[in-house]
Amino acid sequence: MKKIFGLFLLCVSFSWAGISFASGDTHPLADVDIPQDEASIKRGLMVYYDSCRMCHSMKYIQYRGLADIGLSDTEISNLRGDKPLSDRFSSTTTDETANDLFGMVPPDLSLMAKARKQGPRYIYTLLTSYYEKSEGVYENKHFPGIKMPDVFAYSVALNAEEKSVIENKVKDITSFLLWASDPRAKERKSLGVYVIGYLVILSAMFYFLMKRVWARLDDEDESAVGCRSTDSV
Amino acid sequence: MKRVVSWVDQRFPLTSFVKNSLTEYPTPRNLSYWWNFGSLAGVVLVIQIITGIFLAMHYKPDASMAFDSVEHIMREVNYGWLIRYMHTTGATAFFAIIFIHMARTLYYGSYRAPRELMWWTGQLLLLLLMATAFMGYLLPWGQMSYWGAQVITNLFGAVPFLGSELVIWLRGDFVVGDATLTRFFALHYLVPFIIVGAVAIHLVALHSVRSSNPSGISLSDKNNIPFHPYFTVKDLYGLCIFLIVYSYFVFFNPNLFIEADNYIPANPMQTPPHIVPEWYFLPFYAILRSIPDLLGGVIAMGISVMIFAAMPFLDRSKIPGGARYRPFYRGMFYFFVLNVIVLGYVGAKPPEGFLVPLGQVATFFYFATFIILPFGSKIEEKWLRKRGLPAEVEALISCEEFQKSERRQRQADRRKARR
Repeated sequence: MKKIFGLFLLCVSFSWAGISFASGDTHPLADVDIPQDEASIKRGLMVYYDSCRMCHSMKYIQYRGLADIGLSDTEISNLRGDKPLSDRFSSTTTDETANDLFGMVPPDLSLMAKARKQGPRYIYTLLTSYYEKSEGVYENKHFPGIKMPDVFAYSVALNAEEKSVIENKVKDITSFLLWASDPRAKERKSLGVYVIGYLVILSAMFYFLMKRVWARLDDEDESAVGCRSTDSV
Repeated sequence: MKRVVSWVDQRFPLTSFVKNSLTEYPTPRNLSYWWNFGSLAGVVLVIQIITGIFLAMHYKPDASMAFDSVEHIMREVNYGWLIRYMHTTGATAFFAIIFIHMARTLYYGSYRAPRELMWWTGQLLLLLLMATAFMGYLLPWGQMSYWGAQVITNLFGAVPFLGSELVIWLRGDFVVGDATLTRFFALHYLVPFIIVGAVAIHLVALHSVRSSNPSGISLSDKNNIPFHPYFTVKDLYGLCIFLIVYSYFVFFNPNLFIEADNYIPANPMQTPPHIVPEWYFLPFYAILRSIPDLLGGVIAMGISVMIFAAMPFLDRSKIPGGARYRPFYRGMFYFFVLNVIVLGYVGAKPPEGFLVPLGQVATFFYFATFIILPFGSKIEEKWLRKRGLPAEVEALISCEEFQKSERRQRQADRRKARR
């Protein structure tokens, strides 16, 4: 029991070490929970389609993969138009145009939620850190000098109500990007429950088998490791 | 069945092999769970090789395709995510197990005679493992892969006279590039099989000197029990417990040990702000950075890994029973472990502020431990003997003496009989 507890501690300390290594940024990230239900992922997909796809590709996402988040065949065909099912999300702006506009090609978003430390919180914070510097000039608290415009118009939101509408939208897009960075996460976790359940039962069985096998031995003389010479000591 | 076995036995020592290494292989009955980690390392090696072979079926060692092919495995190959996360988590598990296995050897003094060769083949295995892990880390072709390889191959430039030529020879190019990736892939596939060979040597040595045990002396025949079934079942139980921990990381936290930057494709034009190696290299990396001179740092790092091999010479105490009866050695052991953790922490952070002197102090303590040991262990033994050893230790020593004399007696008897 002590040993199992020790292993558990080891596990926890490893997780803790990972977390503490992961946090190094000085600018605080917003502490939000990103929903992972199908509805918000789907809404996020639509936000991507309307607001992000102009500049950002998602080259690891195929149209046929959208069935995983509950899109029906007709919904998928509406999105893809006459493109084949195996086609991947490409941006609607060519690289040359983007280079002319921003001086760079905007990054692909497929892995964004994994490619930044605490990815989902990073994305949420970034998109809600725009503010109006002066009339008509925006800036980003989290990423000063960012080239991406304030697409959700967060910096010019008039009141808290408008801001919360945008924040919900941002949560949806984050939730979609989180799904896109690891589309097998749901499958992975549900399989993991079974694997660990199976292993727990198996270790219990091996534990009792071990106790039974070892019970065949005579009692151990622990103090002197059972050496005959100790009789004379 | 019997006839088949006897047919084989006439041509191959099957039955005697099973007897000698399993059903009649004598194993000390007092082994604790710390002795489980050797067989665990073997299992992880097998997991790594099998998952690695399946990954290689879908992976493309080409600078323009490597990153995409890994994402292809993660997304489109059936259970590709499982195979890949098992492989990445397996690397971490391998090092965790090997470090515990080494710590056990150090705590119980298992490197002492007659097991020096076990310890030295183990040291060789550690080097091979580190080389394999380092080359494997380049293969996903992410930012951290690329820049990690860039930094580490650069270290060879510190070699006097040959340095810059050596770096180009290693990379196959002036910078880490396609040629480097392809050769690292070839070697990453090859070296594990060399590891298998070295493990075989490690095991042959083991079966000749037998397992050490917590008492630190070789036990009488009565206290040695057959490996099978006693330790097969114990190892299986330990394996299941390990697999639970491993599965937790594979299924619920697989990205904990993968740097976020490594999900950005390698970009030779853009250096990440902070290059860190994988966690298992951090203490050695901290030592490298703590020495202001590059060549000095490289030498210090090399020595910090290789110095373990000197343990059989450095520890001059003959007190049995591991660190349990040696207060000075025990204190040093725990201090050393703590110091390595401090070094790991320093290695993970950018070298700023108090971390620089902290890393230097920890580096000093790291080497000081090994320098003090030969004197400390001798003084400790003298002091312990003068003070009077605890009854348990006296019993162990007399027990060992008794067994030695008994063995000598038996040999003499045999010689007489032959005459």
